[in-house]
Amino acid sequence: MKQFAVWLSTTAPSVFIQEHNAWAIPVVQSIHIVGIAAVMGSVLLMDLRILGWAGADQTLRQTAERFGPWLTGALWLLLVTGALMVIGEPMRELVTFSFWLKMALVALGAVLAVLFQRTIRRHEQRWEDTLVQRPSIKALAILTFVMWACIIVLGRLIAYDHVWGSWSPAVGQ
Amino acid sequence: MDFAPALDWLQHTSLATTIRDSLLLFPLLESVHVIGLALVFGTIAVIDLRLLGVASAQRPFSRMASDIMTWTWVTFAVTALTGALMFITNATVYFNNTYFRAKILLLVLAALNVLVFELTARRTVHQWDRSPSAPPIGKAVATVSLVVWVAVIFAGRMIGFTATRTSTVDTAAPAEINFEDLLGLPAGGDTGQAPAKGPD
Repeated sequence: MKQFAVWLSTTAPSVFIQEHNAWAIPVVQSIHIVGIAAVMGSVLLMDLRILGWAGADQTLRQTAERFGPWLTGALWLLLVTGALMVIGEPMRELVTFSFWLKMALVALGAVLAVLFQRTIRRHEQRWEDTLVQRPSIKALAILTFVMWACIIVLGRLIAYDHVWGSWSPAVGQ
Repeated sequence: MDFAPALDWLQHTSLATTIRDSLLLFPLLESVHVIGLALVFGTIAVIDLRLLGVASAQRPFSRMASDIMTWTWVTFAVTALTGALMFITNATVYFNNTYFRAKILLLVLAALNVLVFELTARRTVHQWDRSPSAPPIGKAVATVSLVVWVAVIFAGRMIGFTATRTSTVDTAAPAEINFEDLLGLPAGGDTGQAPAKGPD
C-alpha cells in the first residue's frame, strides 16, 4: 500500500493537486464537509422519523423519498471529493489505520442506506404498521446515526493516526 | 480595547492546558465540532431548500420549522461549545487569525439573516405556509443562508491550515522538521504567526 501511495503521488493528477495545494486541498475538504452535512442531515431526519421524534406528519415512505436521494447524492459527492484527497495526499490517507476503518464503515453505511430505501418501497405497509414500532428497529436507527458520527471522527483522526499507537501503519516509519 | 490580557488568561486556564497537553482531546473536540456543524448546516439546508421550493415543497413550512429547528439549536450549542474549547487552547493566535475573524463575522451575518427572516417572511407565514415556496424575501434569506454557511465551513477549514496549534504557547515553535512543510502545504498565516505545526 505504501508503494502504491508513493506511485500515486507521482501521477499527473496528484502532482497537480500538490502544486496547487494552497487552495485545492482546503476547497476539496470544504466541499467534502458540505457533503457530510447533507449525509448527517438526511440520516438524522430519517432516523428521527423512525424514532417518532420528528416528521410525524410525513409517512415513512415520504420521509425516505425526501431524504434518500439526497443521502445517495451526497455519498457520491463524498466519494469524488474523498478520491481527490487521496490522489492529492496519498501518503496522508492510505497509510493510516483511521482511513481503512473509515472506508469499511462507509461501505457498511452505504449498503444499509440502500437496503433501507429498498425495503421501505417493497414493504411500505408492514413498515408503517409494525416494523417502525419495534424496539430493534428504533435501536438500529440510533446505531446507524452513531455509526455515521464515528465515520466523521475517523475522518478527522486520519490527521492524527498516531492515536492508534501500533495499529497505525504510519507509526514507526 | 485591549483583548491581549484576557486572551492570555484564557489560554493559561487549567482547562486550556489540559486540552493542549492531551494527545486525544483536541482531535475529539474537532470531531464533535464537525459532527455538530454537519447537523447544523444539514438541518438549516433542509429549511432553506423548503423556502426555495426545491425540496419538501408539499410540507407546511411552520410544521417543518418547529420540527427541525430544535435540532438545529441543540447541535449549534454543541458546535459552539466545542469551538470555544478549541479556541481557548490558543486564544491569541486564533483571535489574530484572519480566517477566524472572517468566520465570526460570517456567523454574525448568519444571525442577522435569521433576524431579517423573523421580521419579514416569518410574520406573514400564514399566507404562504402551504405554498411550494416562500415569498421573494424568504427566498433571498434562504439563498444568503446557504452561501454564508458554506463560507463559514470554508473559513473554518482554513483556520486549521493557518493557525498554530502548539503545546507551549509562550515559547516560539521549535525548529523541527515538519513533514507538511516539506510537502509544501500552506504554512503560516497572513497574520505573521508561526508556521502551521501539527496536523491540519
